[in-house]
Amino acid sequence: MKIEGTQKIAAPRDRIFAALIDPAILQKCIPGCEQMEKTGDNQYKAKLTAGVGPVKGAFTATVSLQEIIAPEHYKLVVEGKGQPGFVKGSGELNLKDAGSETEIQYTGDVNVGGLIASVGQRMIQATANMLAARFFKSLEAETATNSPASSTGT
Amino acid sequence: MAEKTVGKPIKRTEDPRLIQGLAHYVDDIRLPDTLHAAFLRSIYAHARIKSIDTTAAQKLPGVVAVYTGKDTQKIGPVPCAAALPDLKVPDHRPLAGNKVYFVGHPVAVVVAETKSAARDAVDLIEVDYEELPVALDEEKAADAKSPVIHEQFGTNVAYKLTAGEGDIEAALKSADKVVKQRILHKRLAPIAMEPRGVLARYFPGEQELTLWTSTQIPHLCRTQVAIMIGMPENKLRLITPEVGGGFGSKLNVYAEEALMGWISMQLNRPVKWIEGRRENMQATIHGRGQTGYIEIGFKNDGTLTGLRYNVFADMGSYFQLLTPAIPTLTGLMLSGCYKIPAIQINVTGVFTNKMSTDAYRGAGRPEATYVVERALDLVALELKRDPVEVRRKNFPQPNEFPFKTATGLFYDSGNYQGALDKALKMADYTKLREEQKTARKEGRIMGIGVSTYVEICALGPSSAMPAGGWESATVRVEPTGKVTVLTGASPHGQGEETSFAQIAADELGVGVNDVTVIHGDTAIVQYGIGTFGSRGLAVGGVAVYMAIQKLKDKAHKIAAHVLQCEKATFVDGKFCADGKGKGEVSAPSMPVAEAPAGALPKPNESGKTLTMMDIALEAHVAKNLPADMEPGLSATAFYEPKNFTFPFGTHIAVVDIDPETGEIHFQRYVAVDDCGKQINPMLVAGQVHGGIVQSIGQAMFEEVVYDETGQLVTGTLMDYAVPKAVMIPHLELDSTETPSPVNPLGAKGVGEAGTIGATPAIVAAIVDALAPYGVRHIDMPIKPEVVWQLIKNGPKKTSAGAA
Repeated sequence: MKIEGTQKIAAPRDRIFAALIDPAILQKCIPGCEQMEKTGDNQYKAKLTAGVGPVKGAFTATVSLQEIIAPEHYKLVVEGKGQPGFVKGSGELNLKDAGSETEIQYTGDVNVGGLIASVGQRMIQATANMLAARFFKSLEAETATNSPASSTGT
Repeated sequence: MAEKTVGKPIKRTEDPRLIQGLAHYVDDIRLPDTLHAAFLRSIYAHARIKSIDTTAAQKLPGVVAVYTGKDTQKIGPVPCAAALPDLKVPDHRPLAGNKVYFVGHPVAVVVAETKSAARDAVDLIEVDYEELPVALDEEKAADAKSPVIHEQFGTNVAYKLTAGEGDIEAALKSADKVVKQRILHKRLAPIAMEPRGVLARYFPGEQELTLWTSTQIPHLCRTQVAIMIGMPENKLRLITPEVGGGFGSKLNVYAEEALMGWISMQLNRPVKWIEGRRENMQATIHGRGQTGYIEIGFKNDGTLTGLRYNVFADMGSYFQLLTPAIPTLTGLMLSGCYKIPAIQINVTGVFTNKMSTDAYRGAGRPEATYVVERALDLVALELKRDPVEVRRKNFPQPNEFPFKTATGLFYDSGNYQGALDKALKMADYTKLREEQKTARKEGRIMGIGVSTYVEICALGPSSAMPAGGWESATVRVEPTGKVTVLTGASPHGQGEETSFAQIAADELGVGVNDVTVIHGDTAIVQYGIGTFGSRGLAVGGVAVYMAIQKLKDKAHKIAAHVLQCEKATFVDGKFCADGKGKGEVSAPSMPVAEAPAGALPKPNESGKTLTMMDIALEAHVAKNLPADMEPGLSATAFYEPKNFTFPFGTHIAVVDIDPETGEIHFQRYVAVDDCGKQINPMLVAGQVHGGIVQSIGQAMFEEVVYDETGQLVTGTLMDYAVPKAVMIPHLELDSTETPSPVNPLGAKGVGEAGTIGATPAIVAAIVDALAPYGVRHIDMPIKPEVVWQLIKNGPKKTSAGAA
């Protein structure tokens, strides 16, 4: 399954990029993410609860950040498995300035297996879009100029 | 004398218990101390199992045992009965070894005190998989560059087979024209209403195992399971209680059947497994699954010269009972109901990372009929002739039977013109074509599809079957005159408790309700083959008829003896003296002591006629029998058919298509089927109805879909589109009756007619409707979206299998 889209966030590119590679902020922004633990250079182990429609459950995932070119590009590779099946995916994020805002372009490829594939397949695309929207909404809140994370807050 | 019932549409005697919920399926059988089994199944289509950790599962309260492939190595392989030259047969163990080959492949089984504990424990089993590349499409998987599923073979090609007669090259060369078409027969899920289920109970003292399982072949299953678990066959009793449909999916021997038997022996407790619907979608056989290339040659006058079909047949990753044999049936029936001097089929059976394919209602013959009928439509289109005309041109005449095909078959009897004419008249075909012209002028989209089919039934002579093609019956007249029929056929919805009772009742001069038909218990019924391949009546029913003749022979001798005549005749349910002799009832040759109270009544020896009940009583009290005659009134027959039978018919579909949405509406559906002599026309209609409904499913809705990683996307009935009642038009049915010379009943079989005759008619109607848009073929299932695309963009710009 392909996921792609663009999202504009009203914050400077540097700050957004910094947030996107900060495990503490990622944990807050990834829907259902309960824990994000560093296991190596740009390698993390995450625990999260996720689901599609009626199929929900706990996943453990390894997350690795690759091809980091600050503040414009990186690749995210996620492999998770849990009781409802498995999720494997990789995606690329490209950031560019768009006036006072930052535009994030993302493209990804996700494979799922197990119960989520056999029961939830028809809802996966919609769920993925919804999760992406929630992620960016949280990211926007985290990086907004008046947020506690902001270094230039007034 | 009861009224004759054969040929009458009497209601099914099995229905009251079914519709009142009083019937017993496997899950309705409750034994004390029963354990419940649940399976861990692979979530990958192809992976190496690096490790399995069952520790947590074993610790869960209520869990009694957890077994993996390592623990069950003593159980023999899941059998494949098909034998083909150079067939590569993978070692198919009940639980996965070091690799999994498809989503749903059983990896471990948990046995627990409750169903929920077993399922919870399944979630606690940790399997470390190393994912491997997959081979999914049967055509691409045959390529040398494809990932290989069974490494030991070095290829995914399980076998290659060429069959047919005549010089195909010359036939295609001598044609005025040759048309070609690639066609798909998508995988379908049989979806029996009752999924599979097994209950096993071992009796350690007697060393006997009883297995209740939802199968179409109780005796064959018993033999195979006994071999798999290494126990004497006669210590294994297999019972099929009510079976909620099979459609071929239970014409098999499954891993779960052997596993439950074996586990019950390990634990000395009953153990039950009931398949869930998701498991049913993943791990019960699928049907069809072919990608084929048609080439048909013909003269300008429409005469066919030759047909070639090159086909890649999707096997799945393992063989089940008949997997590789199914495409060979496609080859056998490629002549359809036409004279085709040269026919060739080239089958490439291909392993894929999917569940096995096997027999699904029609089993290889719907594919053949679809190929031939699509080909005939393409010929008609090419010659700009009416498809009916092209068909008629190539029919053998009724006096040309037995008709030999270039596939090596002898069609027993047929009158293809008769069924076609009747159907055309019912549909008012000429008027329909005029209506279509008007509709097209008015911008409406209307199509008419005609399919004239022939099918191969009454499977079959043993020489053509992997495990015997005969059937058995024992018929007993009990001392009270009640009749018991034990049939080796194993009806599971076909209504043979009724039709076999009709045969017995008419032959023996009793009422239908005086007859009980017993089947599906290997401890009661003599060895038999089972119900599949439209053989129940035309093989099993004939066995019943044969046994009755033997029994009647004896009854005649008893009657003649009692009536003191040379020969007795049986007319209107009564034996009477025929010509010579005294014609009076004799007294026993020796005085007999008065029978004790509660014993059998005294035979009726007062009149000059005797009923079958009188004879039965004489046979059992055994005081007045001819010298040297054995007591009792029972006979067994094993009937071996000399040939297949070949039912046929014409199906006509008329559709209207909504140009805005692409939705397909049936205007009419007309079918004339000829299944030879009909014992019960209501059962015939029921079979045709069900078959057409499944055909509509295949033509318009159904498709098992695996995604590009081998995940089963159509994993539930939310995603797999079984047709609903609202999608089914009124079916206008009639029949012609051309008796089969193969058997004394003249019956041919009708179980699969609908799935064979209907699909091409429906597709032809839709293609015909879209002909003005340049459409000449569309692959099934034809969904509104595909139709809409074709209407908007034409075939060139639409990729959905249209051409």
